[in-house]
Amino acid sequence: MYAPNDSAGSSRSVLMRFLVRSWEYRRPRLWVSVRVACGIFNVVLGVLLLASVRRLGPLAWLAAIPLAGAALIFWTVYRLQQDSVRRVRELEQSRAHLVEDSAARLRRIERDLHDGAQAQMVAVTMKLGLAMKKLGGMTDGTGHTDLDRVLELVVAAHRGAKEAVTELRNLARGIHPPVLDQGLGIALASLAARSDLPVELGIDLPERPSAAIETIAYFCAAELLTNVTKHSGARHATLEAVHVPGLLRVRISDDGCGGARVQTRGGLAGLAERIGTVDGRLQLSSPPGGPSVVTVELPSHT
Amino acid sequence: MRIVIAEDSAVVRAGLAEILADSGHEVVAAVGNADDPLAAVGEHRPDAAVVDVRMPPGYTDEGLRAAITIRRDHPETGVLVFSQYIETRYAADLLGAGSGGGAAGVGYLLKDRVADVEEFVEALNRVAAGGTALDPEVVTQLLGASRRDDGLAALTARERDVLELMAEGRSNAAIAGILVVSERSVEKHVGNIFSKLGLAPSDADHRRVLAVLRYLES
Repeated sequence: MYAPNDSAGSSRSVLMRFLVRSWEYRRPRLWVSVRVACGIFNVVLGVLLLASVRRLGPLAWLAAIPLAGAALIFWTVYRLQQDSVRRVRELEQSRAHLVEDSAARLRRIERDLHDGAQAQMVAVTMKLGLAMKKLGGMTDGTGHTDLDRVLELVVAAHRGAKEAVTELRNLARGIHPPVLDQGLGIALASLAARSDLPVELGIDLPERPSAAIETIAYFCAAELLTNVTKHSGARHATLEAVHVPGLLRVRISDDGCGGARVQTRGGLAGLAERIGTVDGRLQLSSPPGGPSVVTVELPSHT
Repeated sequence: MRIVIAEDSAVVRAGLAEILADSGHEVVAAVGNADDPLAAVGEHRPDAAVVDVRMPPGYTDEGLRAAITIRRDHPETGVLVFSQYIETRYAADLLGAGSGGGAAGVGYLLKDRVADVEEFVEALNRVAAGGTALDPEVVTQLLGASRRDDGLAALTARERDVLELMAEGRSNAAIAGILVVSERSVEKHVGNIFSKLGLAPSDADHRRVLAVLRYLES
């Protein structure tokens, strides 16, 4: 799929894409500048004509033509700007809709897994567990009879099914942690409790942000806490979440070694990208020697 | 033992009933939502109730709240809460809820534990008898998140093993069985743990679980 000679082709197409895009972006602006220039020229012309009204005599009405033209040009420029403002608003709305929709879809997938595959697998492990118990009472333990072989098979199946239950649980939790349904504060508290190092909590969330924002905030906190545990060598971390009207701020600080950076394709860059989908932002302060503080600011609603 | 089951998934409910019946227990009611277990417990006065955390109508923590109510209103019934996920906070809510009078048993286990039939039935027996059954994962999380590093660091590896099993709610005899040591040496370890952590010794299994949990959470 990634053959070596592909690179020349892809770099060409990138260049082409750049040219096309820059043209797409510049053309409207070029037209606006041309129009504004024409408009100004018409105004000047109109004013000059008006000034020389005496000399023009009966042709004085000619001054109205460039002035009317200028008015028309400025009106279309205004319309164009209104259009682009409306377009940005539409795009923002459709993006917000997409973000909310994907959050809702993930919740549904998690619920389906919980009610379906997870429950079925738990039932299978229970049946295998019961079968193991019964077989254990029937075999003589010599390891030579068919019954012993059957017991071995059931034990292996039981182990496999239990592993599958664990994997399913981790998968479902990665898709949407159910505790998030009860609110970001509770979910963050549970996250802190599950963390490998002591986390001090400071939660002030008098109102709930929208579901998609809560999800982004939760996964940011989860990833940042994992980073602290893995890379910082910190002994303690602090997790704060404050919601004031319009703004949710999540801050994670640690007493570790510092020196964290936002690298291209790194975990923090990925987070920043995710935060960017809702016009939020990520700030990092991590001087060598620490402490590190990561602040995530998100709008209350998408 | 007479048992009420509250679990919304029909397959898991049937499986539980089968396991319990096979172990010689009587399932007096098996219900599929969070309101019915309160009525069923009131009606049948069972020895124990097994309650799933996430149940209709809201699919959040309805089962947990039902369990807390049962614990408050029916102290003679042991409550075993089980769930697909372990949330340490739930354990704290459940244990903190206390009971109306006397020592009602309480347990909080991951649903996976049902797979090991004998252990699960043993945990349920413990809860019905007024004891405690905490999932090893709850204990691991509490130990990991505990800020009492200094006290915990003073423990030997074996004492830490004993502490974990003790926090799960196991008796000295059971701990001795699992670690393959004598009950006498378990008692010695327990004594050392309590003195190293600066806790007042306690004989009753469930009371010492509470002491250990309070220590870890403070």
